[in-house]
Amino acid sequence: MMWRDGVALALRGLTGNKLRALLTMLGVVIGVAAVIVLVAIGQGASSLVTSRIETLGTNVVFVTPSAGTFYPVSETTTVARVLPSGDHVVPVMSTGAKISTPDNQSSALIDGTTPKYFALGGLSLASGHFLTTPELEQAQHVAVLGANQAANLFNGMNPVGSSVMILGQQFTVIGVLNAVGQGPGASQDNAIFIPLSVSEFLFSTNQLSELIIQAPSPNIANLSADELTRLYTNALGSANAVSVASEDQVLQTLQATRSTFTDLLAGTAAIALLVGGIGIMNIMLVSVTERTREIGIRQALGATREDVLLQFLIESMVLSLSGGILGAAIGVGLTQLVPVILKTPAIFSPSALVLAFVFSTAVGLIFGLYPAFKASALEPIHALRYDG
Amino acid sequence: MMIRLVSVSKTYQVGTETYPVLRDIDLEVPHGMFTAIIGPSGSGKTTLLNILGGLDVPSQGSYWLNGHDVSHFNREEWAHERNHTIGFVFQSFQLIPSLSALDNVALPLIYRRTPPKQRRILAQEALEQVGLAKRMNHRPTQLSGGQQQRVAIARALIGQPPLILADEPTGNLDHQTGEEILALLESLNRNGKTVIIVTHSHEVADKCRQVVHVEDGHVTLAGVLS
Repeated sequence: MMWRDGVALALRGLTGNKLRALLTMLGVVIGVAAVIVLVAIGQGASSLVTSRIETLGTNVVFVTPSAGTFYPVSETTTVARVLPSGDHVVPVMSTGAKISTPDNQSSALIDGTTPKYFALGGLSLASGHFLTTPELEQAQHVAVLGANQAANLFNGMNPVGSSVMILGQQFTVIGVLNAVGQGPGASQDNAIFIPLSVSEFLFSTNQLSELIIQAPSPNIANLSADELTRLYTNALGSANAVSVASEDQVLQTLQATRSTFTDLLAGTAAIALLVGGIGIMNIMLVSVTERTREIGIRQALGATREDVLLQFLIESMVLSLSGGILGAAIGVGLTQLVPVILKTPAIFSPSALVLAFVFSTAVGLIFGLYPAFKASALEPIHALRYDG
Repeated sequence: MMIRLVSVSKTYQVGTETYPVLRDIDLEVPHGMFTAIIGPSGSGKTTLLNILGGLDVPSQGSYWLNGHDVSHFNREEWAHERNHTIGFVFQSFQLIPSLSALDNVALPLIYRRTPPKQRRILAQEALEQVGLAKRMNHRPTQLSGGQQQRVAIARALIGQPPLILADEPTGNLDHQTGEEILALLESLNRNGKTVIIVTHSHEVADKCRQVVHVEDGHVTLAGVLS
């Protein structure tokens, strides 16, 4: 039996009994589609983590008050006092507001902060400059625009030197940031930065949204996080009033979640492929029994044991590989739908496709081996007389 | 000599009991002979044919086929030998139902690694030879019994084997069709093939030049006509 003949024969068998072939393949189809979609989701999650690292670095601690916790601007000094001098402490007061130019208007997150915000990393200027210490101390009405805000409000013109209105007050644009792009940093593209002193006055509050602390190294960041947790647990009597999380911890949690997720998904896919393999083996055994006479005829006409073995092995591999191709097509299709439906990024990976094909061929080979061996071991004289 | 059996016996073991089916058979079939193996059911004639075709092996004795000692051939050697030396025709036709007449006829060539194009051409020729050129793409179920047996004969011919073994080839056919099939086998014999037919019909045996009687596992040669 030549491979070409075997494949042609197997394909004819498949098209001759489409429903049975499809049902037999179903396990492999689901398994392969699952592998491709799940790997894509895993890759998407991984890229999310990577972009977060790229935006902020791993030396960062976030201090966020829970809703209802009084967390005044003065905490900045309190925190700075207990932390090592190498740490930058950056207060952020975020408030949503309408913003307008004579031609356009939009809503934006107004981040009142200090010049150190720019030092957190991940940000770069397209033109102009970031907030300066004199502008902060003198509470000047100046604003730095995120990339999207600049584009929307000024229709692509360079806005530096122009003015924008926020809550009826006029601000001079002193700088425009480059786009951060996809990922969590993308919120900065839609933000507008003003001096913290101005935002206290503008929104008549001294409640901070968060403190961002940047340490010289991830280790010091973790130590600082521990220190702050202790501070707030003692001061407020509850660990929940103020949440303290280092970027490192956030990442670790993310990674751990992701790896559990990936294991779970891989397990699901493996079970589907296993079930698919058993389905194939089952139907191949039925097929061998149904075609006992055919095997006898082929043997009488000169088929060797190897010819018969190969014929049934090719058949189970074609069955499994067809399931693999169908599953891959479904998997690739679903990968496109994941970001739309689940709102998580999914990145299609060609290696998952290769893996899926290798797996489905292997499933066909492994689970086809026993039925094929059974077929090849038939005695021609008994096979010819078989009444099925 | 096409076939030479020397002291061939066949016994079957069922549990601890052994049943002799063929006892100490000597048989010679010359090249180009038209031979009938005749005997009542259970006499061992089908076992004899199976041994001749390598589908069964003798328990004792030696078997020379076309000048070679094939007594100790293994399965693979027999597969090769059947493919090259023997064409089979069965009572129940033994066609593969899912294949067209053409693909059924071409089967032996698959196991000779003949390329598909050449297989097709040769299968067409073989079907023309048995008068079925117009039914090449029909499935066996779309053919009458006589037509199916013609397909089977075309399949037996395609590999150009020197020996045709036919097991009750007219057993499932009406009288008229049986005559036609027999005539076809006779014409093959006239063209040089050795033909051996297993039958229980004396009418069939009368047409053969050598008649081998099998009874109770013993063989008596009825005669060779010139």
